[in-house]
Amino acid sequence: MDITGTFQYEEDAISAAQGLHAAGIKNVSLMSPIPMHAAEKALGLGKSNVRKFTLIGAILGGLGGFSMCVATALVFIMPTGGRAIIALPPYLLITYETTILIGVLSTLAGFFLVAKLPAWKNRPYRVEANVNRFVVAVESPSSNEVKKAEQIIRGAGALGIEQTGDTL
Amino acid sequence: MVMKKLFDHGEPSYEQVNQDVIKSLIETGPKYWMLLATTVGITVVCFIVPWMYQIHMGVGVAGMNRNAVWGTYLSNFIFWIGLSHSGTLLSAVLHITQSDWRKSIYRSAEAMTLFSLMVAATFVMVHVGRLWFIHWSFPIPNPMGLWPNFRSPIMFDVMAITTYLTASSIFIYMGSVPDFAAVRDYSSGLRRRIYTVLSFGWRGTSKEWHTLGWAYTFFAVLVIPLAVSVHSIVSWDFALSTVPGLHQTIFAPYFVCGAIYSGTAGIVTVMYCLRRFLGFERYIGKIHVDYLGKLLIALSMIWTYINIMELFTGWYSGSSAEIEFLKFRLFGFYAPMYWEMILFCAFVPLLMLFKSVRLNWNRMLVISILINIGMLSERFIIVSTSLPRKLLPDSYGFYFPSPAEISITVGSFAMFATLFLIFIKVFPAVSIYEVKETLNPLRRAEKT
Repeated sequence: MDITGTFQYEEDAISAAQGLHAAGIKNVSLMSPIPMHAAEKALGLGKSNVRKFTLIGAILGGLGGFSMCVATALVFIMPTGGRAIIALPPYLLITYETTILIGVLSTLAGFFLVAKLPAWKNRPYRVEANVNRFVVAVESPSSNEVKKAEQIIRGAGALGIEQTGDTL
Repeated sequence: MVMKKLFDHGEPSYEQVNQDVIKSLIETGPKYWMLLATTVGITVVCFIVPWMYQIHMGVGVAGMNRNAVWGTYLSNFIFWIGLSHSGTLLSAVLHITQSDWRKSIYRSAEAMTLFSLMVAATFVMVHVGRLWFIHWSFPIPNPMGLWPNFRSPIMFDVMAITTYLTASSIFIYMGSVPDFAAVRDYSSGLRRRIYTVLSFGWRGTSKEWHTLGWAYTFFAVLVIPLAVSVHSIVSWDFALSTVPGLHQTIFAPYFVCGAIYSGTAGIVTVMYCLRRFLGFERYIGKIHVDYLGKLLIALSMIWTYINIMELFTGWYSGSSAEIEFLKFRLFGFYAPMYWEMILFCAFVPLLMLFKSVRLNWNRMLVISILINIGMLSERFIIVSTSLPRKLLPDSYGFYFPSPAEISITVGSFAMFATLFLIFIKVFPAVSIYEVKETLNPLRRAEKT
């Protein structure tokens, strides 16, 4: 069983989420139709780990791209007009492209891992959260947390509370 | 600074944004199907059939010959790569600079990038003739032990376009995930199942938004220099040769500027169609056409300056080969096309200095189409007036496109239109959540 509370205003939903956290209730999520920068601060979401994926991916992409060029040149030696076999200027262009290619792909992987997507299992959800309402959800609260959670959500000014809500 | 109005006809409500955008996906009338059938028909008749004929007969059916080894296919390739430039690039730049006016137009602009790149990549396949060996251009070890030569600009192209296509696809897809979830919530049956998969189970939690925000910003930061590199690299396909008229240091900025120029004009054309045929007048308004018009004027002036410099450096070199090339371009067989390009790309855009022109969608549509006709001519002239005038007179030749090349060129526009028509029925053409971000926030302070 899950609990969902629907809010009209952003501040109320943030206050409910903060209250639930303060009460030691776990598995709280705050859903909204648009990004809520105030909520990110209030819920302590700092710098995302996605940036590490981007950096590491870009570095590996650059090293991989350059190595690919050098290895290709050494495996299949093609002397051309006295030019260097390992020619830095053209290889740096390839390195640049692979830096970005792998950087983008690892950022994508980072997004999925950090945001925990794709997620196909049933989780609390209300469709209003994708239209014009803010929804605070508590996933599988223990029996003694249910009443406390409902009180906090109601106290923050929820328009309605449901004990199961829609699931996704 | 005075903040301009983003919406001409008043702000819509959050719910209305969902309804308006999703309606454009779900409600499909007979006109749409007729238009789609027409574009598919033209693509098959004008593009696929001549291409198959060329594959069967050999590339000899194209007008390319011993002196002019590159022709319309390559000039079309540059044109479509160029057209791809404004969508993702403009979207990324305006995302980084937090420009709100971008939010209702960027999705379709990014789609334009993606489909232009696809058409451009198809032209490479058409040009190479023996399509079944095209995988040799990728760094894949094959039974013959043939590895690509990474010192060649052609290989730069392969890597740059592959990267740009991948990055642009991811950029548009990631930005669409929250909107796919909105469509999922409004749908039922098979459509709901499809959008459930497309949205990855998105719920719009703070954690998801926070992660998407970071990832999207990184995508934007990576895509901006990438877009600049792609058309610079395309220009080096030409500039790294020693052919008069192509061996120019100014080619990289010239190509990048021309690409953004034609791409921005393309955005105006696409936005006109979205307003006219999908009913997005409320979301794409005066502010968009005004800003795009101002951007076009600036780009037109940079483009004109570079063209003058191209002529000047050719003349100032004193090289007889360069002078001969210039004479051929300015007064030779293709001179009318050259002067048409100057008229459409250097003079016609000056009309946008008048606000009455800039704020009129019909006039802007005409100007944007003329600019792209001029830019298509520019790419054709670059290829067709340089290779037939190489360093020695015995290498002089002439190039004129064959019926197969002309047909495939026409078909490419139909192919682009087909891809775009499919896009508007799969992707929300206007970003739902980003438009909502520009509306009155759902905060107590703003409401009371």
